[in-house]
Amino acid sequence: MDALNNVFVNIAYAIRGLFADPQSVWANLVMSVINFIIVVVIVVLAALILILLERKVAGWTSQRPGPNRLGPRGWFQTIADALKLMGKEDITPAGADKFIFKVAPMIIFSLPMMTLAVIPYGSGMAPIDLDLGIFYFLAISAISTVAFVMAGWGSNNKYSLLGGMRAVAQMISYEIPLLFSLLGVVMITQSFNLGVIVQDQKNIPFILIQPLAFVIYIIAGMAELNRAPFDLVEADQEVVAGPFTEYSGLRWGLFFLGEYGNMTAVSALAATVFLGGWQGPGFFPGWVWFWMKVGVIIFFIMWARWTFPRIRIDHLMHLAWKVLLPLSILNIFLTGLGIYIYRLVMGG
Amino acid sequence: MTIENTEELILNMGPQHPSMHGLFRMVVNLEGETVTKIEPKLGYLHRGMEKLAESRTYAQFIPYTDRLDYLASPHNNWAYVQTVEKLMGVEIPERAEYLRVIFGELARIASHQVCIASTALDMAGWSAWSYAFRDRERICDMYEMTAGSRLTVNIMRIGGIIEPPAEFWPALKSFLNDTPEMIEEYNGIFFGNEIAQGRLKSVGILSKELAENLSITGPVLRASGVNYDVRKAEPYSIYDRFDFNVPVRYGCDSYDRTIIRLDEIVESIKIIKQAVRDIPEGPVMAKVPKVIKPPVGEVYHRVENPKGELGFYIVSDGTTKPARVRIRPATFINLQMLPIVCLGWKIQDVVAIFATLDAVLGEVDK
Amino acid sequence: MENKVLKEQVEKLAALVSGEVEEILGELVLKVRAPHIIETLTGAKNFPNFPCDFLHDLCGLDLVDHLEVVYQLSSLRGPQRLRVKAIVERENPVIDSVTSLWQGANFLEREAFDMFGINFKGHPNLKRIYMWDDFEGYPLRKDYVTEPIEVRNIVRTRIEGE
Repeated sequence: MDALNNVFVNIAYAIRGLFADPQSVWANLVMSVINFIIVVVIVVLAALILILLERKVAGWTSQRPGPNRLGPRGWFQTIADALKLMGKEDITPAGADKFIFKVAPMIIFSLPMMTLAVIPYGSGMAPIDLDLGIFYFLAISAISTVAFVMAGWGSNNKYSLLGGMRAVAQMISYEIPLLFSLLGVVMITQSFNLGVIVQDQKNIPFILIQPLAFVIYIIAGMAELNRAPFDLVEADQEVVAGPFTEYSGLRWGLFFLGEYGNMTAVSALAATVFLGGWQGPGFFPGWVWFWMKVGVIIFFIMWARWTFPRIRIDHLMHLAWKVLLPLSILNIFLTGLGIYIYRLVMGG
Repeated sequence: MTIENTEELILNMGPQHPSMHGLFRMVVNLEGETVTKIEPKLGYLHRGMEKLAESRTYAQFIPYTDRLDYLASPHNNWAYVQTVEKLMGVEIPERAEYLRVIFGELARIASHQVCIASTALDMAGWSAWSYAFRDRERICDMYEMTAGSRLTVNIMRIGGIIEPPAEFWPALKSFLNDTPEMIEEYNGIFFGNEIAQGRLKSVGILSKELAENLSITGPVLRASGVNYDVRKAEPYSIYDRFDFNVPVRYGCDSYDRTIIRLDEIVESIKIIKQAVRDIPEGPVMAKVPKVIKPPVGEVYHRVENPKGELGFYIVSDGTTKPARVRIRPATFINLQMLPIVCLGWKIQDVVAIFATLDAVLGEVDK
Repeated sequence: MENKVLKEQVEKLAALVSGEVEEILGELVLKVRAPHIIETLTGAKNFPNFPCDFLHDLCGLDLVDHLEVVYQLSSLRGPQRLRVKAIVERENPVIDSVTSLWQGANFLEREAFDMFGINFKGHPNLKRIYMWDDFEGYPLRKDYVTEPIEVRNIVRTRIEGE
């Protein structure tokens, strides 16, 4: 069990052991490259699996089989789709701001790689063990707003522009409750380090101590991801596909990869902060527990998408500023009070 | 605070747009997301039905009527053949009348299911859409058993209807048995949903006075609090024999315009159950001359289509071809409310309001 | 009974606007000349007891020697029906718009204009509704010449041959 638990850590030690000095600059460089490749693989694999999963969940909620032709139960469908996307013509609209138009998908795609790099996938398995993990994560994920605006503005399309403007309004609004909902946990653990937060959940996951924060985080996270019912940015019934309207081929594919990568990242943070990360009651190695928790959250997000209608824009703002924000501040206050009373009682 | 040097965004929605239900186009002026002006542009599906009718014989025109409101094609057949029968003075057999009512009400259910589904879909409620379409498939199966086609069925004839095969009746019975559960499901997944209600309630108010002034008919009119249904007000066919209510709602908003269709499905099921109980044996075609040559004259006849009142005005000059066939399309006239009602709402609401009108472009553009 | 009362009122109105009353297949038809149309319809809208206050349909009609605009009136509160026909000259088809009485006449009058070339005076937005703006001719008039199918076929084969 312990061997399985630490299999990746041991491999990392073995690789470092190949160098004369395991802590030398060269060893660190090689390890960084390997970590980077692993994160890229995680993003791409997640997208490949999640696209299929999404379609299967969609089929399940709407009582139809979903993709079922290619390979066993349609499991090769995404691969075929990816190949198709690669073969498509790359169109840049005539009136587009070419540089912005081309850079936007790359930014979207790079963000989940940066955020997934600080997640501890198992005991001692964070590719980069940052002390300011949560802070870094939120700062990076906020950049996606800029990418959406770039895509919307650069396409020179009215639908895209409307979508981009919606992205700004929505993501800035939901950034705040998202951040505040995590503060309660930070107050308890006294640390921004994700590894420390997971360690502190050895006895009890924070979802039981901070249920309100978890709910706020999931709602704000869905809004942050532009997932239905908060998918106003890419609402295909109103603004066709919002910022993605003019994209084709691989650039559009990058948006897709980025979207699913971001979904993985937000779910991974939820699993880490609220569900105890790689901590589990045994049976499986820690990293399996971690991915199972991520899977549950992803399934929930997809389920909500295919069940709920889209929310109206004024209700969206109402929810962010008049409901979630006060609730998250209340949660911080209650947490502070709780910590104070705990210290009084325990005499700490 | 006023913002200077801003310009209105003129957005061209359609004819190729995901939520324009076919080939509808509207030019929308936007101030931010708020609509300041809407101009509908029609004609992208105009096939000149009225002109075509003038060069076809009376019987030849029946298949064309299928293509008007293609979501409820038996109703269009029915309106047309009844108008011709009225002009010729043909009495049709009892059994044919009952079968017409059964198919007409089935078409009404199917059409309303599509309306509920597409309203849900225009608000991104994917599952509600597929639930309603799943149930509509069973009606299409029944069409297929009878006529061989699933959408443009063309089952009515001048003087009668075609007899459905034996397997039609068990299929109809099982469908009727499952309907309460169906309606419960639509309520649960769509009408009971908080977000859906938030999107639809008190949006796009169409007052009673405005509705009457705009010549609006059908469920849209009844959702504005007017109790008027041609089936009750001027009972055609054998509607006076059935016991059913006309659902009326007083909210005047998008929500009532949508949920009133659910109420109408309930009433249609009641009518079909009574028709199945009472249907007599007998022939389904009256004795009609081989060459249809109505006397000189004119007639106007209206029926209650799922979308509103469908009227046919036929002028005959005594030849085998009509001199003029005027189609009064219900949704074409109902569509006039769109530029008035949508003002001041967000672009998202325009899509929802348009969906609640249940416009079928085959009928709008004729 | 109701029909009789309505008929009396229609006849009274017909005398006022110098129109004729007919009964075709059980439906009352009131024929007037185009200049009287607003007067007639206002009268019909305000019939005591049986107001025909709902504009059910409006369409053009080509009777070769003249055009007609046909108004189907009804009511949402009673069984009364009335068909008003306004006779319009063929050469100079002008008639007053009834959009001031019923806003619902807007699209219908545009359609009649599109198909018959009847000019509705006072219409807020009298443009073609189905055909494109620079379309020539009025398709539903009896003298409109449609391209015979043979002509179209010749054109098609020539394009294929090239």
